[in-house]
Formats: sequence, C-alpha cells, structure tokens
Amino acid sequence: MDVAALQNELKSLIVKELNLEGRDPSSIVDEAPLFGEGLGLDSLDALQLAMSVEERWNVRIPEGPEGRIAFASVAALARWIVEHPAGDGPKAAG
Amino acid sequence: MDRRAPCRRRAESRGLSLRVAVSGLGVICALGDTVDGVWQRVLRGDRGATPARLFSTEGQRSSLAAEVPDLVVPTEGGSPWSRTDALALSAARQALRAAKLENRTGIRLGIVVGGTTGGMYETEALLAKMHAEPSARVPNPAMLAHPLSATSDRLASVLGPFARTRTLCSACSSGANAFALGRAWLELDLVDAVLVGGADGLCRLTFTGFNALGAMDVGQARPFDARRRGLNIGEGAGFAVLEREERAGARGVPPLAELVGAGIVSEAHHITNPHESGEYPAEAIAKALKEAALAPTDVDYVNAHGTGTTLNDVMETAALQKAFGEETSRIYVSSTKGQIGHTLGAAGAIEAIFTVLAIRDGKVPPTGGLEQVDPACSALRHVVGAAAETNVRVALSNAFGFGGVDTVLAFAKLGYAAEQERPARAVWVTGIGSASRMGGLQWDENARLLEPQPAPSAGDPEVEDPTATLDLVRARRLDRAARLAASAAQLAWSSGNDGIFLGTSYGDPDASAAFLARVFAKGPRMAPPAEFPNLVPSSPSGHASIYLALHGPAIAIADLATSGEAAIVTAWELIASGFIDAATAGSVEGPSQIVESSIAPSFSDAAGEKRSEARRTTGAAVVRLTREPPPETAELVEERVIVQQVVQGATLAEVVGAMAPPFVKGAVVVSEITPAIREALQRTPWEKAQILEVAPAVGRHEGLGGFAVAAAAGLLLKGGVFSALILGTSPGRVYGLRLERP
Repeated sequence: MDVAALQNELKSLIVKELNLEGRDPSSIVDEAPLFGEGLGLDSLDALQLAMSVEERWNVRIPEGPEGRIAFASVAALARWIVEHPAGDGPKAAG
Repeated sequence: MDRRAPCRRRAESRGLSLRVAVSGLGVICALGDTVDGVWQRVLRGDRGATPARLFSTEGQRSSLAAEVPDLVVPTEGGSPWSRTDALALSAARQALRAAKLENRTGIRLGIVVGGTTGGMYETEALLAKMHAEPSARVPNPAMLAHPLSATSDRLASVLGPFARTRTLCSACSSGANAFALGRAWLELDLVDAVLVGGADGLCRLTFTGFNALGAMDVGQARPFDARRRGLNIGEGAGFAVLEREERAGARGVPPLAELVGAGIVSEAHHITNPHESGEYPAEAIAKALKEAALAPTDVDYVNAHGTGTTLNDVMETAALQKAFGEETSRIYVSSTKGQIGHTLGAAGAIEAIFTVLAIRDGKVPPTGGLEQVDPACSALRHVVGAAAETNVRVALSNAFGFGGVDTVLAFAKLGYAAEQERPARAVWVTGIGSASRMGGLQWDENARLLEPQPAPSAGDPEVEDPTATLDLVRARRLDRAARLAASAAQLAWSSGNDGIFLGTSYGDPDASAAFLARVFAKGPRMAPPAEFPNLVPSSPSGHASIYLALHGPAIAIADLATSGEAAIVTAWELIASGFIDAATAGSVEGPSQIVESSIAPSFSDAAGEKRSEARRTTGAAVVRLTREPPPETAELVEERVIVQQVVQGATLAEVVGAMAPPFVKGAVVVSEITPAIREALQRTPWEKAQILEVAPAVGRHEGLGGFAVAAAAGLLLKGGVFSALILGTSPGRVYGLRLERP
C-alpha cells in the first residue's frame, strides 16, 4: 500500500467524517496528535473515525491502549491500517 | 399597569400551604408493573436485564436489555399505539388510582410527560424505507404514533381531560424535569394536581446508538463496580401525582413525601460526555438543597444517575464529594440502574419514585450488581448486596442527559423542610432573534417578519444564510436545526445562566431514518456514533446551550405545530414561578422531507384539516425572557415588553375568552390567518384589533408560532401598538400569549 496516498486519504476522511468544515486536508500534519492538542478531537470523534476506518478498510481499531497507539496521528493510523490487513482485527473489538 | 405575575398567590389566598406533596405513584419496568412489586425486587437487588426479545441484537456488543416482559400494546381507538404509550398508560393509571384521582370531578388535573423516542420502535422500519425510497414518503396513519407528543395525546384521550398538558425532552433527564415543571404549575395555581413522569419504550435506534458510543456493558450493568463496562438499556415508565398536601388529605390520601427542591444545570460542555470535574451536577445539588433551605447534613440518601459507564460513575463520585464535603461518607448512595437498566427518558421519573419510596419505608436499595467498589468511587457510602434500613429524612434523585442537562430533585419527609415562599414575578422580553429565509433578525427588526412579502418560489436560494456568522470550528457538530437555533439565540443576546427551551414538532425524522437505514443495511457496527446524539429531540437545545455556553435548563418541547408557543409558555412558567431567572425560548425546524411529505399531512388528514400545499422551509425564532430588565437596559424604560398572560386550552373560544382586553391599541398575531381565528375574535374585546400573520417570505413550517411571538414583540418595540395577542393552534390544542408594552 502507498503510505503517502493512504495518509492523504485518511486526512480527507477525517475532514469529511468529523465535519472539519473549511479545513484543508493537506494542512493536517502527518505526525501531529489527533486528539487533545493538535486537531483538538475527542473521544466521540475517535468512535466516529474508528467506524469510518472499519467501513473503508475493513480494519478494526480496538478500544483502550492499543487504540490510543493507532489514533496517535495520521501517520500512526496509516501504519495501523498497513500492519492490520483487512478483516484481521480482533473479533470482539466492539 | 398590572405587573403582578398572573394567578400566583391564588392558592395561598384559598388557605393552601406551599407544600408540594407526592400523593400517588405508578411504575412499570423490567421488574414488574406495580409500585410495591417493583420496589420489593429493587430492594432485593434483582436484575432486570435479559437477552432482548423485542428485536435481534446481532452484531451489537451486548444482547441484554431490561425489557418489560409480555407488554401488551393495545390496538383499539383508531390511531396506532406505541410501546411508549402502553408503558405510560400503565404507570399514569396506577398513579391516579393511588391518589384516588381516577374518577374525579372539579379537579384541574395537568400532565407533564418526559421522553426521548415516543413511537420510534413502531415506525423504525417505515422510516428506513422512507429514507431509501422517496416514493414511500407519503401520508401514513402509522406515523401518527411517531412524535413524542403522541404519548401525551394518548394519555389525554384515555385518562383526560387534562387542564394542562406538556411534553418535554432533555434526553436522559426528561422524566426528572417533568417534576420541576409540574411543581411550577402548582405554584402558579394553573392546576390542582399534576401527573408528572416519563416514558420510553425500547427501540433499535437507541439500543444501537448507545452500542455505537461504546456505552453498553457486554454483561449485566454494575454501577460503581471496578469491573463495570457500561449500561444496560432498559424501558419503562414512571408517573407521580403532585398536589398541595391538604388536597390529598381531603381525599383520604396520605402524602408519601414532599418535593422540596429541584436544580437543573446545563454543563454547556459536550453533547455526550459529562464534564469530568462533576462541578455541574454538584451545582444542581446545591440549587435543589438551597430551594428548600436544606444542607448536606439533612440528606440521608442519593439515588445516583449511576449509569455504570466508566466516565459517569467517577464523575458522579466527584460531584457528590463536591456537593456534600465531609458528609459524603455518611450519605447512602445507590444506583438502581443495575436492577432496571437505563430507562432513558423514564429514568429520572422512575428513580424519583424509588427515592420517594426510600423516604416512605426507611429503606435504601442496593446498587444492583455492585460487588467490588471501584477505588475511584470509594469515597461514597455504597449500598452493597442488601438494602439498608435507615431513617431517610431527605433524599435526592440525580438524572443527567445528553447535551449535559443535569437535574437533581430533592424529596423530604412531609413537614421536615421549612415552607419556602418564592416571590411573584413578572416576565419581560429582553431579547428577540430569528434565523430564517429572511436572514438573521434581532430585536425590533423582527417586526419585519409581519411585513407582507411574496412567498418564496421553489428553488429560491436562501436569501442570506443566517447561520453564516457561526464559528465553524465550534459549530462542527451542529446540524442545520441546531445551527439555526444557535443563530437565533445568539441574535436574542442569550447568555450566562439562561435556560433554552426549543419547540420542535417531530425532532429530526430524516436523520433517524438515515441512521436506521444504514444500521439495517450494514449492521450495528456501522452505526455512526457522532450522529446518534443529534437524533434526540433535545439536540438543538443541547447544542445551542453548548455553543453559547448557556448553563440553565436546555429542554425541547414537542407539541405538533404549536411546539414554539408551548416552549415559550414553559419558559414563562418556570420564570414566573421563581424557578429560573432567564430563558431563551421559541421554535426550531430543520429540513425534513419526511415531515413535509408524510408526517405533517398524516396529522392534517387525521384532524380532518386541509393539507398544507406550501413547500416546507426551515427556521428558528426565539425570545429571551427574564424576570426583570437586566441593568444594561433598565434605563431604557421605553423599550420594554412584558409577557402579561399565557393561556393554554383546547379551543380558540376558551383561550380568547380568558384573555384580558388590549391596552390602548392591540394587534393579533398568528402564524397564518384562518376563518376560525377571525370568528373566535368576534364579539370579544379583541374584535377591532388588527390581525397580522407571519410573512409568507418566512416560508411555512411547524415552528411559525415562535416567529409569531418574536414578530409581535418586535412590533410592540416599533411602537404604535401596545398590546399583542399571539394565538397558536394545532389539532386539539390552542395557546394564547398576551404581550404588552407599558
């Protein structure tokens, strides 16, 4: 998978799914924190983003510490998707 | 100029005390359908959550629901019943029987119903179909069960007539807020007795929504336990009769307890998550105790909101510590959601009933499922395993809802608290705002809403988007309705501790339909968590409260095409009775193909009225009401409008007949002039008043009542007219508001 393309797609997904109206996806920094500081997203955004990622790539993002690693940044999320092939998520993640 | 709050003090002049007694209770939930049967099981710590039978839970994280077993939903009476109707009727009838009010004569009985989903379960499949197929969006009698107000109408047809009716939603604190409003009606002497409560039937929408939020435990809920994972969704209804203590006594009904205080505080923080500090629920507790001049040393029990989610229980522990200080370790706390699940709009009412029973019996129920207290919640005096026996003098019931509406009710043994007298109050209009096709209008600009201008033709672009001034970053979670509401409230200078009461006729059925269609097609895992909170009818009021940092009660009112009038009347009642100081109130209607093509014409057909042919538009219009002119406008004596009189009735003749005559020169303002309105004004003091209607340029939707009030207030400010009578009608209900400029 082309990581740069994946990261760009993720940025567009974040802007669209989280209603970041007026935000240019390319302005999101690959390594910038998504939650708290950085983009200022919260736990409700995390749930929405997890659903969108699962719908688009069929990859589940677990709750808890593992999920926090996946959601650290756009780059971390892209890594998670690359390292967890479609349908390979933990079955009881939800 | 008569500035007294009308009708207040009449109760006292008849020699009645100020004490508000609880004289009858009714409950139905997973643990049974009688008060004493349910209460004994709650005291034993029985658990009501079992694998759901009503619908498939495949793909959900939990299969458990605290469902009412073998609930029979009637089919008679012409219009369709919902589970919510059946639950509400059971509990309301029990409460009336217990209070010996089932067969009554000469008693003005009112009803306040709290809820969140109304007839959602019965209309879910049809909604999903309407989402997918435009051809399915046609009038259909099945949709008559859908709105929240349908349950109140059902209760009125079976148990009525009622002297006053109201349907409200503040998500999971709805049932508790019904108590606060019912008490205000007694204080204003609008009713002799009032049925207050909440009802919510199970449905796939809420089950899937809470699942998507990760808020459900896979097993049975165990609030405050170290191993808790979330809540179980439940269903049920709870109603109580409130009245002056002497009235109950006169019928030989011993009062069970006294409602001595209430506190409603909005967190203005987040649409689903509570503020971790617990400071807002603590403030609500302090308000409830202050109303009764009580202190933490008087409190013996708290029925906690205690959902069993990680976040709530830790936050609530902090809140109770903040509110009670050193008394925290003495006061028993339990959550009965481990027994009956989270019954959502009914929870605040059912749990208030348990709180009253704890006082009556001197027994405090255990927290169902609690075995290992979470160290983060260990500051509280939990009731583990068995019920505790203790003298309960004062007990609190906590209910917190989406949008951050925290409600605390305080009950006491009859006579324990000193009688409190609250001052009579006039209610002033100190802000006006509207957001519509005519753009954003503030203060007297709203008189323009009455200038005849041509109706917009189909396909017209909205003239100037009235929501364009919102901060997009902060408004990103607000849907169209919430944005219109926030814009109108901002134009009305809403601020600080204002409450916000928004009439919404049918909520957002299109968004619910889209959510359901997606869940049915792709499975529960694909339910969008961020969209779920926008499906609750109180979403616009909750979002507006958050956007504008308003910390008063944020509550939606549902009453068909008079929802806006009903919301303004509700705000007036709570200010005039001395409960709150200020509120922004009016109507909001977002876009909806389903309302336009199916729900609204279904109601027109049922009422034998002509269907509207106008294309449905959107908009929000509010007035800011305050107990007195704020200092910054106090010197502008000329620019004052007072809400002199509000009347709610069943017919135009009744409402117009009750209205005082106009002061010097009056105008009648309505959503739309009809022959019935002209006829009702004949041979009344308002006969010669000019009749004005909301301009066709605003468009046509169910929220025009809010526009009529905003326009009338604007007209009075413009001058030349000194009294305005606003009349709002929809099938079976009429509202009248009389505004005056001194």
